[in-house]
Formats: sequence, structure tokens, C-alpha cells
Amino acid sequence: MRSILFLGTSSGAGKTTVDALYCRHLARKGLRVAPFKASNLSLNSYVTEDGKEIGMGQAFQAWACGIEPTGDMNPVLLKPSGNGRMQVVLRGAPFMDVGRGVPFPRDEVMEKVCESYDRLAHDYDVVVCEGSGSPVELNLMDNDMANIGMMRARGIRSVLVGDIERGGVFAAIYGTWLLLPEDLRPLVKGFVINRFRGDASILEPGIRKVEELTGMKCLGIIPYVHLRFPEEDSLSDSGGRLGDGSIHEEFVKNLDELLDAVEEAGIDFDALDGFLSA
Amino acid sequence: MHLPVSKRGGRTTDLIRKQVESELEKGDIGCNVGCDYYPCHFEGQNCSFCYCPFYPCEDPVMGYFVTSRSGKPVWSCEDCLFCHRNEVVDFTFGKVREMGLKAGDPRFLTEVFPEAKRRFWHRGKALMVLGATSDAGKSITVAALCRIFHRMGYLVAPFKSQNMSLNSRVTAKGSEIAMVQVLQARAGGLRNADAHMNPILLKPKGNTVSQVIVEGKPFGDYNVPDYYGKFVPGPGIEAVRRNMDFLKDRYDYVIMEGAGSPAEINIYDADIANMRAAEVADADCVLVVNVEWGGSFAYAVGTVRLMPEKDRSRIKGIIINNVRGDPDRMRSGAEKLEEILGIPVIGIIPHMSVDLPSEDSEAFRGQMSKGTGSLHIAVVKLPRIANFTDIDPLCMEDTTVEFVDTAEGILSADAIVIPGTKNTIDDLVWLKGNGMFDAIRSMRGKVPILGICGGYQMMGRVLHDPDGIEGTVPGDTAGLGFFDNESYWKEYSKRTVRDRCEMIDGGGEVEGYEIHMGMTDVVEKPLFRMTSFGRKDEVEGSVREDEMLYGTYIHGVLDKPAFRKKFISMIKHEGKTVSTGEPEDYDDVVDRNLDLLADGFEKGLDMAALKRIAGVGE
Repeated sequence: MRSILFLGTSSGAGKTTVDALYCRHLARKGLRVAPFKASNLSLNSYVTEDGKEIGMGQAFQAWACGIEPTGDMNPVLLKPSGNGRMQVVLRGAPFMDVGRGVPFPRDEVMEKVCESYDRLAHDYDVVVCEGSGSPVELNLMDNDMANIGMMRARGIRSVLVGDIERGGVFAAIYGTWLLLPEDLRPLVKGFVINRFRGDASILEPGIRKVEELTGMKCLGIIPYVHLRFPEEDSLSDSGGRLGDGSIHEEFVKNLDELLDAVEEAGIDFDALDGFLSA
Repeated sequence: MHLPVSKRGGRTTDLIRKQVESELEKGDIGCNVGCDYYPCHFEGQNCSFCYCPFYPCEDPVMGYFVTSRSGKPVWSCEDCLFCHRNEVVDFTFGKVREMGLKAGDPRFLTEVFPEAKRRFWHRGKALMVLGATSDAGKSITVAALCRIFHRMGYLVAPFKSQNMSLNSRVTAKGSEIAMVQVLQARAGGLRNADAHMNPILLKPKGNTVSQVIVEGKPFGDYNVPDYYGKFVPGPGIEAVRRNMDFLKDRYDYVIMEGAGSPAEINIYDADIANMRAAEVADADCVLVVNVEWGGSFAYAVGTVRLMPEKDRSRIKGIIINNVRGDPDRMRSGAEKLEEILGIPVIGIIPHMSVDLPSEDSEAFRGQMSKGTGSLHIAVVKLPRIANFTDIDPLCMEDTTVEFVDTAEGILSADAIVIPGTKNTIDDLVWLKGNGMFDAIRSMRGKVPILGICGGYQMMGRVLHDPDGIEGTVPGDTAGLGFFDNESYWKEYSKRTVRDRCEMIDGGGEVEGYEIHMGMTDVVEKPLFRMTSFGRKDEVEGSVREDEMLYGTYIHGVLDKPAFRKKFISMIKHEGKTVSTGEPEDYDDVVDRNLDLLADGFEKGLDMAALKRIAGVGE
């Protein structure tokens, strides 16, 4: 089995999109690919054909892979229900409510998460994993599952996605790397700078410095393009069912166009392919 | 009789002596809040020495020489705040009694002033607010700190060396600076922001060129390589130094704002908005991180660690900003962060919704609507929209204000506002290309339409730009034809002026400012009559009451209640007007919200730590 994990320096850094692009890239090469996100905090969910509730992002990534989504692709879905309570959906079915004095049984859940991951890894050539939020929230890191949780549990190599739109992208990438536990840093092989506008050559000195400081490789700069993921459009109002499927066909078409543009902009997919754990 | 010691003497000194004489008789009058000009310097100023008994001190930290109309050098102390400090007034009156001083006594200058200066004058201290990203909350933090120090009784000025902004204002001296520094100055109790507070203003013109404004006046157009290669190392850094020195001579605290992230290591040495400005000002810094998007700890650590040691050591505290929910959930992370960086977290600030003027980022990030009130006002979202803070006061009423860029958005509106633009002609061409031009024309007489600045120019018959000063293609462009006015661009120059005026048909006062390159020949009935000193014969704007068409060059036209009330009263939703109560002066709303903001920060900040960093009480 081979896999890779996309980590973001913040929420909305572009993990979901980059993940979907890479899924598509591998699928177009003829590989059998599955998406995976250990845990998702979202109210926007999709219901799979076998009645499992998962995050919308993984449903779309599955379509990018040319397959139908399953419960294993997003084994934990956390749905905030207000008043500090949260419903835990485990492998597509309601599991328990946590919060307000009811702790999250992290280790028990993590075991199930790993089972799901292992099943996908067994059934597919490649599992493309997505992290959740930033992997280095100092107040939350100990209970992490989707980021350093998976890195530690399965030794998955990873790539950082940094968003340049608000500035501070070098600080974000370097700071994230610095805050990762030292034993996991060697697993982080590279980084991608997302949402760039203008002449990319101006970034060169900064990129070189971060490469020197961390040993990570810059895999490319993704130009500013807006690929609309359905959660942004609140399409989940449709109850998770997307009717005749035309929306996801449209999405995959857009994704193909974006992938062409990104390949042209020089994202080093060969290097990414090389990072896939043996 | 002793006249002030002056090499120049003459009638002016005589006049000042007489004024000082009467001031000495009256004694300490404190704040003269009844004065038309109060607060001409700062909220809470001591007005006893409207005319200074130390004039002309000729001390370069208090004033400077200007050239009079007759070409002679004249000592100007219009920016001096020293004689308006309570302690200085108090001390001076003590000396007046003790020494039996009369106006013009040379001992004011030989004895009292040097002693007062020794006791009460000190160079101000600079504190700088850095942000780990754009939108970290820097400008809001600066505003909060300005208000906090002002409430402690200090003289405080904001400073942002270089600001890239589409929202600018004209100061009392006719200088153009970023709107946000005007707001921060107000937070510091200052009614008259000036160009020292934002010595470099970059106004993006599109196509990677910006107009560079230095000390409030156009300096030139620069592309990115020339700006960093030529402007920054020469006139740029000098402007930062000169203006920082000026403010430090006059204020107790200068609260500086950085720009973007200070750790953009690809342009680090050419960045005069962050650590180089901090170096020039010898500022202690606090770093603000916004937790909204996550990764804030990584941003903080990366920002600090990417800086060279000499800059890193300036960072004395970290503020974790915009925390939703229980701030305590950040506590354990904050403690770890302190341990890792050896820098204290001096504040965990909750998310606050305060009603303050929009920031540029809102437009950049595409916020499309504000409010959920009954009147639907469409603001034309011009590609080069400028000074859209003009619209903010409308949001206080029972309105939904929507930025629209489609004909449909225009056709369904209850009122239309065409705002200012950095480039009237290109934006007019854009309107014609997307069907909005025809849509706006079709709404003539059906709903109230207001054009401000560039929008006002568009409402005219023709726009003449024979040399292509404004537009990319030279020539004439037909306007909306709502007014028979014609606008023209004859030379590369800009009109920046503050206006005070009244509505011609009654209703009250309006205040604002003009910033425009083109001029307009007005043949319509004017909207306003000037009340500004020396301009009482001027009129401004155009109005066709029967068709509900209004046009003006005045930015801020909706800030005062008078015209806003008028405009709102004309708007109907589903055939009905909406009673909105008595509109408030937008300045008062802003002031109230600045207090709320400062309250929120005071609660979230470790005030003892802040005071330690600022050296309060030293």
C-alpha cells in the first residue's frame, strides 16, 4: 500500500482541493485511488449509497478518484450540536454525543479509524489522506487524530499546504514544521504554496530559505483559482443526496481543468509520486 | 513693557502679547469645550494657552519655521501640544504668580520654558503592533491601544509607515492619508489626524503600479521593482524616520502598525512597513495572531523564528486575537507558546463585533452585503471602487446594503449608490460592458440614485479625457446623462480639500472631503452651499429633486445625519418609506464603538504586562 497525507497550515489553506487534485492526477494515471480523512468537523455531510454519513469533501474526492464514496473514507464525522455538545458519527453511523462532561474516547475511536484506513490501503493502490485544520494547535495536539495521529499510527509521509493569500506563508510553513514533534518531522517531505497571484519569481529567496531550514522541498506554487467545493455552497441542504449526480460531474470537469492548469504552473507531481510511502 | 524676545517682532508678536495678557488674567480655564474649535488638538486638552506665552520658542522639538506670504520665515507651532498639557499650564501659572510675570516678559523664554521643558518634555516611546498575517487585527489593536492610552491620560498618535489602501481621507491640512489612521487618531482622542501618521500611502492603480503618496501629496507612480529598488532605500526610509521623529517629539506614545506579515523573508530587507520601521523608531513590538482560521501558534512561532535575532528581541508580547467561545480554551496552548518562544502571551482577545468603518480586506475578500433591514440599497461594485467607507453610515439604518455587479442587482434595488473609483472612465466602460449602465439608466426617476465622486462624474453627460489621464484610452466617454454636467481631465493633478457645507434646501450640515483628479462643470442645481472659512460663495454637487438624482464630490457625505436622513427618507420599499428614527452622527457611533473596543481589549489584555512593555509610569 502507498499513501500520502496533505496537512494544512490553517483551515481553508486548500488541503481539500490539493488532495482532490492529487487524487485526480493518480486516477488519470490509471491507479486505483481512495481518499481518506480520519476526522472531519462539519455540519455538511453526504450520505453514501449504503447509507453512511461522511464529510462532503471526501465524497467529492472519491468522485475525483472515479469511485463511489464509502463510510471508511471519513470514519469520524464530528457534528457540533450547540451548547458545547457534539455528535460523533463513526464510520457513517451515529456513535455517541460528547461534550459537557462526556469526554471523547479518543483511543477507542482511533482504533476504528485505523481499521478503516487499513481496509482502504488493502483495497486500493494509493490512499490520499487529508489532515484537519492545522496539525500543531498547541491546545489540541495531544488528542489529534487526522494529522499527527495518523502520521504516528501509520507512518504516513506528508506534505504541507500553505495559503499565501493573507501573507505570512513562510512563517506558517516554518512554524508548523517547528511545532511538529521532532520524531515526525522527517515524514514531512515537502510543501506547496497555494493561492498565489502575481510573478512567482519574487518568492524564490523565501522558498530557498525555508527549504534550507527544514529540509522540505517546495513542490510548487498553485495559482489563485477558486474551485468551489459544495460545502461552501451549502448544497448539503439537499439532505446529502445530490440527485442525478450532475453536480459531481460538473465538479470533476472543473477539477480536470484545474489540474491541467496546475500541471502547467509547474506543480512537481513526480516528486509527490516519489514521496508515496513504499 | 517686555515684548517676547524675537529677532522679528512686529505686529504679530504684538497681537500674541495682547492675547497672552488676557490669558494670564483669566488663569487656568482647563478644556474650553464651548469653543467652536475644541478639541483643535486632542480631547481633554488644556485651552488656557490658546496663544502661547513662550512664543516664539524656536525650539525644534516644538515647532518649525515656515515661509510667510511675504517670503519671510515665520515660527510655526501649530502642531505643538506642549502648552496644552495640564501639567505645563499648571506649572506656568505657578511661575507667573511666583515671579510676577506679565505677557512678554523675557523670563518666559529664558527661565520658565527651559524649566518646563526639562520637567515635562520627553521623547515619546514607540510601540508597534505586528500581525502574523493580513487581517490579524493589527489596525483594530492599534485603535484599541490608542484609546486605552488616551484614557490613561497620555498623548498618543498612531503611525503606519506605509499603507496600501483604497480608502483615504483628507486631513485638515489637505493631505491624503489612509482612512484607518484617521480612525486610530480619533481613538487616541485626536480630531486632526495628519500626514505624519501615515507618511507613505500606496494607492493601487491596477496592473501592479501604485500611486505613491508621501506626506499626503502625490509623489509618483511606481511598479513593484522600482518601489523596492529606488523608492524604499532613499525617500522611503527617510520619510519614515522624519515623521516618526516628528511624532515622538510631540506625543507620549506612538502606536505603530505593521503591514501584512513582518516575516516575508523574500523581501525582508526592503520591507519598511515592519521591522525596519521598528528599528528606526526603536519600538518594542507585540505580535497579533488571529485564531479564526487555525494554525495561529504555527504562525506566531514561524514569524518570530524567521526574524534575525536583533529584530526578534523587539517582540515583547503576543496577542491571541479573535477567539470565539471560551477564551480559556486557548490558555494551555498559550502557555506552551510562551515556553517555546520565551515571549509572554499578553492577551487573549475575544471575537468582538463593533461598528467601525470597513477595512479594505472586506472588499478584497468579497463581502457582498451588510445588514438585514427593509430598504435594499444597491452599491455598484466598481472594479476599482475607492473610499467605500462612504457607505458605512447607511448600514446603521434599517437597510440591507448590497454590493452588486449585475444588472439584476440594480433592477431589484430600492435605491442605488454609485461610489468613488480610482479610475472613473475605465469603470464606466466596465459598466457599459456588463449591462449595468443600461440598468441604472432604466431606474432613473424610479428610485433615488446617489453618485459620489467618480460616481457623480459618471452621472453627467460627457467625460472628457483628451490625454488619457484617467482612462486607458484618450477621448470622450458618454456618461449616464442624469445631469447635464461635463467632467474633464486636463492635467495630472489632484484636488484634495476638506469641505464643510449645508444643504441648500435646508436640513443641516454636511462635512467631508474631496479627492479627485477630474473636474466638473456644473450646470445643475447645486446640492450644498459651502460654510468652510473663506469659501462661502462656493456651491457643491448637483440635484434633480423630482427625479431623486443626487451627485456630490464629497466623501463622507452620509456621515452627518442631515443628508443621510434626506436620502433615506426618499427610499421606498414595496411602495412604502421606512421610518428610521433620528439618525445619529456617524462620528458619535464610531466613538462609542471605539470605547467598546477598548473595553474588550482591556478585559482580554494582561494590562500589567502591557504597561510594563510600554513603560507606563516610568
